[in-house]
Amino acid sequence: MEEYIISLEDLKKLADNLIKEGTDLFLPSPDNSRFVRLKKADELKLAPEARPSDISAKQAAFPKCDPVLFYKRDKSTVELKDAEPSANQVLFGLKPCDAAAFGIMNKVFNWDYKDNFFNKRLENTLVIGLACTYSDDYCFCTSVGLSPVSETGSDIFLVRLSDAQFAARAVTDKGIQFVKKYSQLFAKGDSSKSKPALESIKGPARKFDSKKVKDWLDKNFETDFFNPVGDTCLGCGQCAFVCPTCHCFDIVDEDYSYSEGRRMKNWDACQFSLFTLHASGHNPRDNQAKRYRQRVNHKFKYYIDRFKEILCTGCGRCSRGCPVTIDIGSIVTKIGNLT
Amino acid sequence: MADIISIARGVFENKKADILIGYTKATSEGRTRPVIVRSADEVQNLVLNSSCLNNLATYLTRKENKGKKVAIVAKGCDIKSIVQLIAESQIKRENVYIIGVKCNGVKRSFEGEDSKKIAEKCLNCNVRTPHLADETVDMSDEGLTGKDEKAELIEKLDSMSAEERFAFWEEQFEKCIKCYACRQACPLCYCERCIADKSMPRWVESSPTKRGNFAWNIVRAFHLSGRCIGCNECERVCPAGIPLSLLNRKMVMVAKSEFGYESGMSADAPTLIGTYDLKDKEEFIK
Ligand code: SF4
Ligand code: SF4
Ligand code: SF4
Ligand code: SF4
Ligand code: SF4
Repeated sequence: MEEYIISLEDLKKLADNLIKEGTDLFLPSPDNSRFVRLKKADELKLAPEARPSDISAKQAAFPKCDPVLFYKRDKSTVELKDAEPSANQVLFGLKPCDAAAFGIMNKVFNWDYKDNFFNKRLENTLVIGLACTYSDDYCFCTSVGLSPVSETGSDIFLVRLSDAQFAARAVTDKGIQFVKKYSQLFAKGDSSKSKPALESIKGPARKFDSKKVKDWLDKNFETDFFNPVGDTCLGCGQCAFVCPTCHCFDIVDEDYSYSEGRRMKNWDACQFSLFTLHASGHNPRDNQAKRYRQRVNHKFKYYIDRFKEILCTGCGRCSRGCPVTIDIGSIVTKIGNLT
Repeated sequence: MADIISIARGVFENKKADILIGYTKATSEGRTRPVIVRSADEVQNLVLNSSCLNNLATYLTRKENKGKKVAIVAKGCDIKSIVQLIAESQIKRENVYIIGVKCNGVKRSFEGEDSKKIAEKCLNCNVRTPHLADETVDMSDEGLTGKDEKAELIEKLDSMSAEERFAFWEEQFEKCIKCYACRQACPLCYCERCIADKSMPRWVESSPTKRGNFAWNIVRAFHLSGRCIGCNECERVCPAGIPLSLLNRKMVMVAKSEFGYESGMSADAPTLIGTYDLKDKEEFIK
């Protein structure tokens, strides 16, 4: 792996170049609530010590609402126009638990149908990851096959050496090409520079065995285990919407007027009571415990059955942001201890 | 005075309720979360302190709790929502057993700088001593202090031109992701089928676009006008950080100044929205 050194000043120059070229740059907002477009390069900040932004970076490939097509109609004709997704974008300073999520979602968006919207966006995206020095009671990346220093999903991976200097590893071909293109900003380095910084990162305290979790879920679909969660879960969409890997969506047509409108692909969430409501009035998941059971099974069983991946990067967002602090990490830890 | 655990035990031993909604420890220090307990054997993990931020009254109107006799731990502001629910005929007084909290104020947020400040709603609170309760319990005084920054913002918004105000809300609502956590946490958003979920016809655009977000947030503000009791749960739970209290508090102020009405204070007084008076003012409608 090629390792380089880049100063914060040069990262700002890089950002400036990119903005001038018309590339959209995204990074966590100053209040760390979500990812926003960087307008001025000198406002670039990389904060490995910050907690994961409240809302993940998934919208870079899977926006909260996305036009699929536009339509016009009159008495005799209907005219359709495909929506064309996106310009080039660079995501700056993604934590490993954000960066890894795109590869996980990629599986479902290219399973029985190839989702051109997701794919195009991902193709046009360069991910600059950042080794993470944060962790709290809600993080558990190391229990789902990742770590605060994993490069999975990053094209370029940064490690902070000092406030003004970063090691930069070119992880993918895309990353290598990118470093080549801006080679005047990257100085040659070697892994001895980043090693001590990486080794000093301890990672989250929470540990569970995801195989044991799956073993229990495999055998216990009918269970009372989720009833206490169902007691207090409010059935909102917070957990799914802030999650970097949740990928359910709803298709709706919006008329601007009688003769014009568009078809939208909008985030949806399995914790909403209407999510599984049939037209007949029957609802197979007719209480909140069943809905939460679905959330845990989808992440720690069904997705593994189908795609051999856990549908969770351990970022802890869903739990930190949950209005009633339902903590998925502690729930699956308990499950792991049941077997 | 008795602590929350012995009070809860007493509730079950004296058969005052079938279930009790209270607070328990969450994963991290400094947080609590709601819990429902069903017998005296389950009460030992109940807690009560200035991290008890949730308004538990939102659980009273849930399908599974209807028809049950429910004991609930409630701070004064939470009791306001219980009073409002009774006034709006959503629950019956005799079906709720209120363990009122003598309250010295709660934290603004679980973590970070705001966890050292008192919640803004507590600064002008008129119900620190419960105004409707079956028994009361003391909450410790953590000596939290803080400033009402929102009051200044409301004044600032009032002094803006309509265009400036629109631009302010445009920037805020753009952030909404339509997770409906505000609605789900709100004790007074109890409609079985929210207007935002109706699709035949669709009243509120479901997309979290600028138009759809304006429609949603304004509908919610209107539906809570003259009803909102100011617990500020909606704002606290909003993952997008939208200052929803600016809307709700303004509506509360209008209800008070124009109609002399304060929601959540009396279960017997007619509700503002449910009554009509020829003398009702209308000058504020612009
Ligand atoms: S777990 Fe929390 S965030 Fe998720 S639906 Fe339930 S209340 Fe909302
Ligand atoms: S389920 Fe929760 S912890 Fe896992 S990736 Fe989603 S938000 Fe993060
Ligand atoms: S508003 Fe009043 S009753 Fe409610 S938490 Fe604050 S001080 Fe306590
Ligand atoms: S909680 Fe916030 S983001 Fe979610 S729907 Fe309400 S206003 Fe929008
Ligand atoms: S609108 Fe907000 S502040 Fe008002 S009652 Fe509902 S949750 Fe509380």
